[in-house]
Amino acid sequence: MSLNASLLTAVQALSADTGALQATNSNIANANTPGYTRKVAILQEAAPTNENNLSVGNGVVLEGYQSVRDELVQTQIQQETQAQSGANAQLATLQQVQPTFTTSTQDIGTQMSALFSSLSGLSTNPNSSAAGEAVLTAGQNLATAFNTASNTLNSQQAGLNTQVNQDVNQINQITQQIAALNPQIAQLTSTGQDGGTLQDQQDQLVLQLSALTNVAVTKTDNGEMLTTGNGTPLVVGSQNFALSTTTNSDGMQDVLDQNGTAITASITGGDLGGTIQTRDQAIPGLLSQLDTLANQFGTAFNAAQATGFNQDGSAGQNFFTIPTSVAGSAGSIKMAITDPTMIAASSDGSAGNNGNLANLSAVQTAALPAGETPGNAYASLVYQVGSLTSNANAESTAIGSSLVQLNNQLSSVSGVSIDEESSNLITFQTAYEAAARVVSTIQELFSITMSMGTTAAE
Amino acid sequence: MRVTNMLPDVQYQMQQSQQALSVALQQVSTGLRVNQPSDDPAASANLVASLAASANVDQYTANVGSVLPQLQTADASISSVETTLNSAITVGISGANGTNTAANRQALASQVQGFLSDVIAQANTSFQGNYVFGGSATGAPPFVAASTSFASTQGSAGSPLAPSTALTAGSVTTISDATTGDKMVFKAKTGDTVATLQAAIAGAVSAGTLSAGTSAIINASGQLAIGTNSSTAGIVVNSNDAVLGSMTATPGTVVANAYAYVGNSGTNNAQVGDSLSVPTSLPGDQVFTTGSNVLGSLNSLITALQSGTTAQIGTATSAVSAALNLVTQARIPLDNSISQLNSQESYLGQETVTLTTQQTSLVGINLAEAATNLSQAELTNSAVLAAAAKVLPQTLLNYLAPG
Repeated sequence: MSLNASLLTAVQALSADTGALQATNSNIANANTPGYTRKVAILQEAAPTNENNLSVGNGVVLEGYQSVRDELVQTQIQQETQAQSGANAQLATLQQVQPTFTTSTQDIGTQMSALFSSLSGLSTNPNSSAAGEAVLTAGQNLATAFNTASNTLNSQQAGLNTQVNQDVNQINQITQQIAALNPQIAQLTSTGQDGGTLQDQQDQLVLQLSALTNVAVTKTDNGEMLTTGNGTPLVVGSQNFALSTTTNSDGMQDVLDQNGTAITASITGGDLGGTIQTRDQAIPGLLSQLDTLANQFGTAFNAAQATGFNQDGSAGQNFFTIPTSVAGSAGSIKMAITDPTMIAASSDGSAGNNGNLANLSAVQTAALPAGETPGNAYASLVYQVGSLTSNANAESTAIGSSLVQLNNQLSSVSGVSIDEESSNLITFQTAYEAAARVVSTIQELFSITMSMGTTAAE
Repeated sequence: MRVTNMLPDVQYQMQQSQQALSVALQQVSTGLRVNQPSDDPAASANLVASLAASANVDQYTANVGSVLPQLQTADASISSVETTLNSAITVGISGANGTNTAANRQALASQVQGFLSDVIAQANTSFQGNYVFGGSATGAPPFVAASTSFASTQGSAGSPLAPSTALTAGSVTTISDATTGDKMVFKAKTGDTVATLQAAIAGAVSAGTLSAGTSAIINASGQLAIGTNSSTAGIVVNSNDAVLGSMTATPGTVVANAYAYVGNSGTNNAQVGDSLSVPTSLPGDQVFTTGSNVLGSLNSLITALQSGTTAQIGTATSAVSAALNLVTQARIPLDNSISQLNSQESYLGQETVTLTTQQTSLVGINLAEAATNLSQAELTNSAVLAAAAKVLPQTLLNYLAPG
């Protein structure tokens, strides 16, 4: 065993401790960096040497660094993020739709009641033009309430449609970055090294992608393979496959895969999934009910108007103008008459008769062809808006709390603890100091050895 | 479990407790548990129905408020007619006294004429433009002065109407007879001609609906002329048939003291409850002409006082008495409606309270509960904040000696 060998062992220890300090340094520096996984220095005993049948340890070797990961929790976080972004996208839209259906002075329900109240008021005073004007104003207000509700839903739908394009653009940017990282990481792992910082970056990008769409991740030798929808490839090795959009027959943006096949319906998660779900299902569902209500209400009201006579004795004309097709009725319903004498109050054509007002009022309590009275049909619309919103909210809240748990779990494995790093710092500092002491001790031994044979100064 | 950083947990807790605080604050400041449909979808849907019911009740209450004075006006009119008829009876009785001179009777006759005008004024009473005794035709005065002859505006010597002239299907021609107090309504069917109308008039005469002698002819000007053949028998003719044009009274043929009813036998009704409606107008013929003819009896009394015998005056006075009974009876349903409205008004008041209570329980929150929720949320929030302040600054670095 030579002093040289001992010196080498001490120097290796110095270098190993510096390496460990570097890992600690990096951990402390990145303590608050999103997506950072803590690094540990891998220290290993150096292979022993045999000398005269004595096996002697050769100190420590810094094998490299390893990031501490939990792939399972990471995957769960990605999935929950998809679900949460989807719910949030729905919630954001529905929260803007909701005020239109909240009881106020202007909502459809209130205006509908106001119309029937004004008719009832007219019945007590059928010759009053003021009471007639009140009916016309109430009719106009109801038509406006229908128009407003329809416009709100339509403009939300248009906004969501734009969002589809933005989401697809973002997805393409992110998949490009992920694909670029794949060969770099593959190169590192092929030499047995840890993906380290590059892997952190990639995981973070996949998380961002999960916030946009549903993603399935498969590990391959060439890095991560990502698919969306029903297996539409996004990233394979160093290659990313861009999604695109095109306007379909309904004027809405369809999402296309790299072959130009529409995959809109298979996008179920993330902001894109939530946006598509709201755009293609929730809002059209509400719109169609609103249109049906406006159309059938207008038709029933016009039919009641036709059974009576105007003040001048002529047969009652349409009260509301409604389109022949149900779709778009709520948006375009408007008053057909502007003269209070055109309200068909009379049942026999004599002036001052109010007999037909009872028929007009009966629209309030008669079931429309859809099966419910106008008031109940509106109430169920309110229920649906409320229930869609509250479900999206509940889902988002529940996932939010489970994400907090999962993130805790992940940070318990991969997160940086400042306290822990502080104590590591002390440990490696002490170890470094000790190794340095060994070096200086050996140096002293060398000088003693060098001065052997010379006369020592007494 | 290895805990690395408590910040995310603490932040989540703070967010949760602050959200609860904001909800509690909103509940206290609005007094509502449900501020938007998503707060409670089912309650929001029920609220829509309940508010519609409230709006109806409010309107019924308003209707009671406007119908009641209308009926009270009608009631006051009938009451005034009763007084007038009593005065007429007194005059009739004194007129039947054989010691009266012709001049005295003339004076009495003109007094009764005044009574008749009073009755007509009451029978044409309107409330805010609605003629309460016109049946459902409340837009025009129901009792109009009758004439002996009416002629159509269509038809001329050059292109005269003829018995074969087709009438407009669905058009209505009415002849109101002041003497019988009755009226004939002719509704033209497809294929009906002027001759059909003429036959209908002849039928109505033989049925007694119209006075004897009433007939329709094509006059020398080619117009359809409908008239009585007596200078004391008055009628009023109305038609909406474009073939005839409107029927106008021949100038100078107005019969003194004769009035015909041009309203109808329907009523206007107003809803004052979900299943309660009250008439807001009365068919004036039932009060003033049909059965026992108030207007006709006064007219007869005038004639009798002017030129009749003592016995005729007595008969005419009895007829006025009979008419008074009829008027008194006609008042009964009116009074019933008025008392019904009064009780409905207090019922609607209760209903409003019931519905308001229902709405409060659907979407409201009582103040005590809201205040408790708020102070609880406050407590939780300050606990979370205090805990965060204690926990977050904890680090090993605080205890390590510097350098």
